[in-house]
Amino acid sequence: MSQTTRRVATDVGGTFTDLVAFETRPDGTMEIVTAKSDTTPPDFETGVLNVLRKGGIEPSEVGFMAHGTTVVINALTERKGVKVGLITTEGFRDVLEIARGNRPDFFNLHYIKPAPFVSRDLRAEVPGRMTYKGEERAPLDLSGVGSILDGFRAEGVEAVAICLLHAYANTAHEEALLAEVRRLWPEISVVASHQITREWREYERTNSTVLSAYVQPVAARYLGKLDAGLKDQGLPRSPYIMQSNCGVDSLEATSAVPINMVESGPASGFWGAAELGKLIGEPNVLALDIGGTTAKCSLIEDGEVRIMTDYWIERTSKSAGYPIMVPVVDLVEIGNGGGSIAWVDDFGKLHVGPQSAGALPGPAAYGKGGTEATTTDANLWLGRINRDYFCGGEIDADMAAAESALKAVGDRLGVSVDEAAQGIVRIANNNMVNALKLVSLNRGHDTRDFTLVAFGGGGAMHAVALGQELQVRKVVVPAAAAVFSAFGMMMSDLRRDAFVTQLVDLTDGAGDIIEAIFAEAEGKARATFETEGVDPGKVTFLRYGKFRYQNQEHTTEVALSGPVTDAALEGIAADFHDAYEREYTYRLDAPVEMVGIHLVARAEVGKLQMQPAEIGPADATPAHKGRRHVDYATEGRHEADIYDGTLLAPGMAFDGPAIVEDPGTTIVIHPGNRVELDAYRNIHIHLGGGRA
Amino acid sequence: MSDPFTLSVVQSALDSAAEEMFEVLRKTAMSPIIYEVLDVGTGVTDAGGALVSSGAGIPSFVGVLDKSVKAIVAREDGRIAEGDVFVTNDPNGGGVTHLNDVVVAEPVFHEGTLVAWVASIAHWGDIGGSTPGSMATDVTSLVAEGLRLPILRLFEGGTRNEAVADIIRANSRLPEFVTGDLWAQVSAGRRAARLIRGICGRYGTGMLESAIRDARETGRARALQGLAAMPRGTYRASQPQDDGTTWHASIKVTEDRFIVDLTEAPDQTPGPYNTSRDGALVACQILFKALTDPERFANAGSFEPLEVRTRPGSIFDPTPDAAQGYYFETRIRLIDMLWRGLAETAGLNLPAGSFATIYGLVIAGRHPDTGRAFSMVEPQLGGWGATPDRDGNSAMFSTNHGDTFNCPVEVAEARYGLEIVARELGEAAKEAGERSGGRGLRTRYRLRSDAVVSVGFSHGVVPAWPLPGAREGGTNALRLTRGGQTENQPCYVSRLELRKSDELEVLTARGGNAPENGKR
Repeated sequence: MSQTTRRVATDVGGTFTDLVAFETRPDGTMEIVTAKSDTTPPDFETGVLNVLRKGGIEPSEVGFMAHGTTVVINALTERKGVKVGLITTEGFRDVLEIARGNRPDFFNLHYIKPAPFVSRDLRAEVPGRMTYKGEERAPLDLSGVGSILDGFRAEGVEAVAICLLHAYANTAHEEALLAEVRRLWPEISVVASHQITREWREYERTNSTVLSAYVQPVAARYLGKLDAGLKDQGLPRSPYIMQSNCGVDSLEATSAVPINMVESGPASGFWGAAELGKLIGEPNVLALDIGGTTAKCSLIEDGEVRIMTDYWIERTSKSAGYPIMVPVVDLVEIGNGGGSIAWVDDFGKLHVGPQSAGALPGPAAYGKGGTEATTTDANLWLGRINRDYFCGGEIDADMAAAESALKAVGDRLGVSVDEAAQGIVRIANNNMVNALKLVSLNRGHDTRDFTLVAFGGGGAMHAVALGQELQVRKVVVPAAAAVFSAFGMMMSDLRRDAFVTQLVDLTDGAGDIIEAIFAEAEGKARATFETEGVDPGKVTFLRYGKFRYQNQEHTTEVALSGPVTDAALEGIAADFHDAYEREYTYRLDAPVEMVGIHLVARAEVGKLQMQPAEIGPADATPAHKGRRHVDYATEGRHEADIYDGTLLAPGMAFDGPAIVEDPGTTIVIHPGNRVELDAYRNIHIHLGGGRA
Repeated sequence: MSDPFTLSVVQSALDSAAEEMFEVLRKTAMSPIIYEVLDVGTGVTDAGGALVSSGAGIPSFVGVLDKSVKAIVAREDGRIAEGDVFVTNDPNGGGVTHLNDVVVAEPVFHEGTLVAWVASIAHWGDIGGSTPGSMATDVTSLVAEGLRLPILRLFEGGTRNEAVADIIRANSRLPEFVTGDLWAQVSAGRRAARLIRGICGRYGTGMLESAIRDARETGRARALQGLAAMPRGTYRASQPQDDGTTWHASIKVTEDRFIVDLTEAPDQTPGPYNTSRDGALVACQILFKALTDPERFANAGSFEPLEVRTRPGSIFDPTPDAAQGYYFETRIRLIDMLWRGLAETAGLNLPAGSFATIYGLVIAGRHPDTGRAFSMVEPQLGGWGATPDRDGNSAMFSTNHGDTFNCPVEVAEARYGLEIVARELGEAAKEAGERSGGRGLRTRYRLRSDAVVSVGFSHGVVPAWPLPGAREGGTNALRLTRGGQTENQPCYVSRLELRKSDELEVLTARGGNAPENGKR
């Protein structure tokens, strides 16, 4: 490394636009800069340029830039996309409205089915049929496309979605229809389902295609303005855009199919946790991200995140929601964050969340008029958060308001303010433990084999309690936990996940068939990367097969190594039987079939290499700020040592009970814990390793 | 440690035990009717069989398994040992519904004491009898409907009873499926049992009992609060039926009781249209829960104020040998009648009537591409009733279903080897000042190989009922097209033989209309 390299990640959130920049000097030392500025709708690029300026970053000197944005999910949830016209197979224009017919709120006779994103008059049909094997049953008839598009034009359609039955098995009809639409209406935004996914299930695929069309013009406009703004300031090449599959993709590819970035925010944090795990020799990670309104968690096994295509928006116990069949990191999200409101129902039960006090009025202790107790108020009251250093000292904690809010909860339960606060923390912890169990124990993973990596503003506050409940190996709070997502973005590869449905019985001859499916998908991925100027030698693949016992529906994904041949089938089936038994406690003497493949194609594009600092003395006294009483709920009140997180240095070590205060987060260390800082300033908390 | 927060923590663990059991079943079952239609329920009960928590995707399987466990306890009390797993499908002996629904129940022990039960019930694709799918319409006794499993030990003290498993395999047309489904149920129970033992180990059985008691009290309080909001009185319900008869019942609402009197019901039928008393009770529970506390939370307390009176020898309380294969159509029509009575006379804000049928379509045959036997069992989607505020929902599963998913066309064509020519919404219909019932569905199946069909549906003659002052909805129908000739089929069909290229058309009803708010 002969010169200073600057890597920058910007993340546009609802309220703030965050910046993290890493500068790696020729001698290998690193400097980290963080900055925050207001998000500036509708001209989001202004906020990005502002935050670069605030961080003292000169765009022309940036070697690698990654960008994360909520533009897609916002356009969906706020219904700010464009008018879409859908063209589908004759006899099936109502697929989008029929949906799956389910009613999760199943006792409710007043349930209201979610409305489709395209009304019936804008759902058109063309004759032509493929079979599930990808054979043509009836030829495609394009003679009506012209008048369909005339109708769309007259109705003010701004984007066209195409989804034909069985297009996952054979794309020919969709490709012909796509070409015809482009020929007849060159300037229209148009997308076909096979460009998004090659998996079966027509409702999911149709809805995914429709939603991609719905946000495409909005996202393309956003990304175009961002790119122009940055280039104007001298950025040498376009930023990479964070995707939901924990990778980044080029700005151009993202503009064409923006739906892939629908859950990019959580994905970057989880990828950061995976990379951090590899860096510190802990490849099995339970990752927990606690923000203001939600907590999200995901499981990383052997350094790999799990990517699935079973993603839904607005799906709750009250509503069926809408499926988006794109690769998204497997995560569980619950309405439990620092701002979650504690409330008592008509029957004397305490609940925390999912309603949040948000940024305004925020927790009662913000003193902005909030009267409802939140998790943050409880943490303040119990001394876990420093009332004299609230929000990094930026807010004077209104303890009177917090007390009166907590008292109201206590009065309804017939308990004291202290007990109410302890109860809120316990219920919030229980909600989060349940979420963590969903991604671990419930899938046959033993949490004792995992390290809990906690980040986000609130992760470190609850992590030890959760880790103790789940008996994890240890808890790690990364350096700069509050801006960890941006760190994850800088560690990301260019990554594409391809899912292809194809049924293959695991019998003689299957080896060649399966190998051919992978070879085709890999060839396509390599060719696409090549046209984008990525060195084919840098492209690597991960292969997974989705298997089940014949006649089952749900599949178990198994990693495959080496070429698939008939000789390898027995080993593959054995791996499936093992994986299945681990999750479900039994195996069957039944034929096994493959339902499809999952291919990960990756190419490194100059991601960050972390440099370890020198390990210093263990004595943490230089960071010691004082002592105060802290209530550890079920573990009682203790006098805890307080440390200044900004002064903690590699090699320092100390025991709990303790609190580490950082401008962005507070780390609660329980009695009996042992804390050590590694060479990257990550904080390792050994749960049973203390001297106390 | 019996503070309110520990109680909540333990209660949430009991809820997740039932939910996880459900999730395991959904992911491991062999039969689409389990993993997609969710014709399945899971539950945790206390040692005596009182419902603690349910993990069901559909309301008709909430509050079923307590009855199963109680039947097992009544028969086996004193002989229940750790490591036992029971199986039953006898509607009158813990099976509750019909022979296709098989219950697997496992007692949970902690330090040698029985502390709880975990149980599941799931619809198996074929349990023998005269017709593929085991739901014949031309039978007159339970024995003719298939294999009857009284309360049997599938495992005895941890040892698998191979004889029971062998008998089951030998009596089904789909032995691989029933084996897979049986194991899925056993696996689901193991998951929940482990969780409950974990609770006992962590908090003690005393805490477990306190949590169960407290949750039950909450269930009762929620039900009573809902009941208090209903106008007191006695309401008459009557509903004409497709067979030309009219059913009658009455509902009495008091401060703390909701009494459903079904004693006016017709005598039991020779055909499979009876439902056990437990089955009738479950139907009333669904409606009671929807009216008083429509949250998914349910335990024994939730149903305490409910009292159901039946007459032995009637369709809602038949003799033990009575055929019950189509109990679900009887049950949904029971709910339909009670719902209508309350909508018309009790001043409750309820939607108009729906297509009100399960319409379980069974097509069995050999896959033209693989040669393997298949059995498609699919309930249908139809229109729901309008309210004065809005049109009804289109294309939804029935009220007795819930988080039930239809089978995608792309999956069905691969799995069953038939062609689905079209699937589209029916028409809406309303006059000025009306809200339209939701639209039904029209699905056309074209056979690629010979197959046999069994099907039954309600509201084939009598339309979905409207709210007073508006127009009625549509009717359900089945049509067969062969050699260019299209013929309507009767509402109940057994062993209808289809040939390659035949086209079967399923039409479901539009829901009933409602007068628009302020317009009439």
